[in-house]
Amino acid sequence: MSQAFDPRVKQVLDGERPAGDLPLALRAEAEAAQRVLAALDRREVSLSPQLDARVMAAVRRRAASPRRRAWRWFTAPSVPPWGLAAAAAAAFVAFLLLFRPASVGSPGAASPLATAAGPESVYVRFVLTAPTAQHVALAGTFNRWDPSATPLTRVGAEGTWMVTVPLTAGQHQYAFVVDGQRWVPDPAAPKVDDGFGRKNSVVSVTPTQGRVL
Amino acid sequence: MRVTQGDRVERTAEPSDGAVVRAVLTGDVEQYSVLVRRYRDRYARYASRMLGSLDAAEDAVQDALIRAFDQLKQCRDPDNFAGWFFLILRNRCFAERRRHKRVDGLEHAEELAVPDVSLASLERAEQARSLERALLQLTPEQREVFVLKHVEELSYDEISARVGTGVAALKMRMHRAYDRLRELLRETR
Amino acid sequence: MNRAFMLLGLTAFTAPALVAQEDVAARLQGRVPPAVAAAVSALIDTARARGLPGTPLVDKALEGAVKGVPAERIVPAVRTVLDQLNASANALHDAGIANPSDQAVEAGAFAIAAGMTVSDVAAIAGTANQGHPAAVALQVAGALAALGVPRPETVGLVRAEIQSGRPLGDLVSLPGQVQAAMAGGALPAAAAAGLERAAAAHQTTPPRGQGKGPVNPHKP
Repeated sequence: MSQAFDPRVKQVLDGERPAGDLPLALRAEAEAAQRVLAALDRREVSLSPQLDARVMAAVRRRAASPRRRAWRWFTAPSVPPWGLAAAAAAAFVAFLLLFRPASVGSPGAASPLATAAGPESVYVRFVLTAPTAQHVALAGTFNRWDPSATPLTRVGAEGTWMVTVPLTAGQHQYAFVVDGQRWVPDPAAPKVDDGFGRKNSVVSVTPTQGRVL
Repeated sequence: MRVTQGDRVERTAEPSDGAVVRAVLTGDVEQYSVLVRRYRDRYARYASRMLGSLDAAEDAVQDALIRAFDQLKQCRDPDNFAGWFFLILRNRCFAERRRHKRVDGLEHAEELAVPDVSLASLERAEQARSLERALLQLTPEQREVFVLKHVEELSYDEISARVGTGVAALKMRMHRAYDRLRELLRETR
Repeated sequence: MNRAFMLLGLTAFTAPALVAQEDVAARLQGRVPPAVAAAVSALIDTARARGLPGTPLVDKALEGAVKGVPAERIVPAVRTVLDQLNASANALHDAGIANPSDQAVEAGAFAIAAGMTVSDVAAIAGTANQGHPAAVALQVAGALAALGVPRPETVGLVRAEIQSGRPLGDLVSLPGQVQAAMAGGALPAAAAAGLERAAAAHQTTPPRGQGKGPVNPHKP
């Protein structure tokens, strides 16, 4: 059989001809193709709430610069007290998509009953820019503060570290663990005192709509 | 799922894109946040389908917004910031696709949302997933016309106005895309 | 118990209830000093006796140990969390919620940790309704407080939004809206005050735009 659609089928797919006009053999093919197109995901997409802050931070740096720097993702800011060369204000949490896992429970509390109950979770992306770091991990209430449970992966040449984690509803406190010893709050997320003299970052997932606050 | 962030602000009398662009160009850099808020999500679905993942889409939109700021002086028609910004984002998406060629498209396809299986049949969800995977193997040009026509649901005339390519050429691209998709989907069966 | 709370009970927050039944000593064993484990176990017993969730206490103890905090500072921090949970539960009771869910209690405790007072929590919980559950309202309040929105503005904004009768999605979008305004240079208080005025104005204005079809963002 030919690998190409009949031109009349293509017209149907273009919405320029009704499938009913086609001979029966072609009509079946056109309708099958239309069903595939109808299955396309057309849901709207929302990006991380922190995107605005990241863009504006970059814009302000550019505006303040005496000469516009060459295009790049993040410029290197001042050296933070804990010694990373350029852990920019580039860490953020991003809403990705709502999902209802059939077999994946909350990472921290992998309770069979919670899974069976169909917990609403969202994938949340955590990102830290730490060009000189050798290892970055994520520790928080969702993984029982286990620094070995959720390592980040280095992506690109800019020193950006990233991991995506499914989170169940609730308020989760967390921090990045850089090179196994430095506890770094997320520069772009809300923070609260951790009770030990440091700050934890916070990400909230609402229970009824699975929204990241 | 849609974030309503910014909707309420936009309901009040907000300045036009042109007014904001002119304000930024005269030194009021903070005004740029109005455009960021307005356009952060507008083409996010387009970018996610072009690039095959939400992560990549977010990077591209962020990249494009900063690039647009860098090149704002070159925006000849500030009142059509939307169209100009779309072209910057489009270039970014094309460059990204060319850089990675066909690479890890299949892996990225896993990140794309598929219809809620509780509402749609499993077969339908699987069809969508197969199609999303196949889309990643089209050329960027074919993929774009497919996304704009069948995801964004624009007419050929609207696509032509947006990307500056004639309708006949767009149709040819689209028809080649249909054939290529048919071939790819058969391979996966 | 209203339907919203039944829903809450059926979703993700079945986990804390289960955790409360786990052997806390086993969870802490090997991760915190034995003396800390014993003290935390006692605090968890107290929490259970008061009907409070125990998971946040375990989490705080583990967090302290992982961060290398001396044992003598871990137990007071855990006790502070217990106090916050207790205060939150009391506030919810004061607001007329006889059997608050664990997540509502935890959300209230978080709001308190972020700087809200017991009366703030009660005021917000008292405004909650079936369409705007206390757990969500308190999560939003906590997030706003953690963003730096002052207490009065936080309470005013969350209450005004609930009373506006707009959908729950509008309530949960508030922290994002405040962050967006902050990205544009606004102070948290000013951003929240502006949103509160918009919500208050909506209380006397019929909803607009309802029944409209989806908008294609590519079309003008």
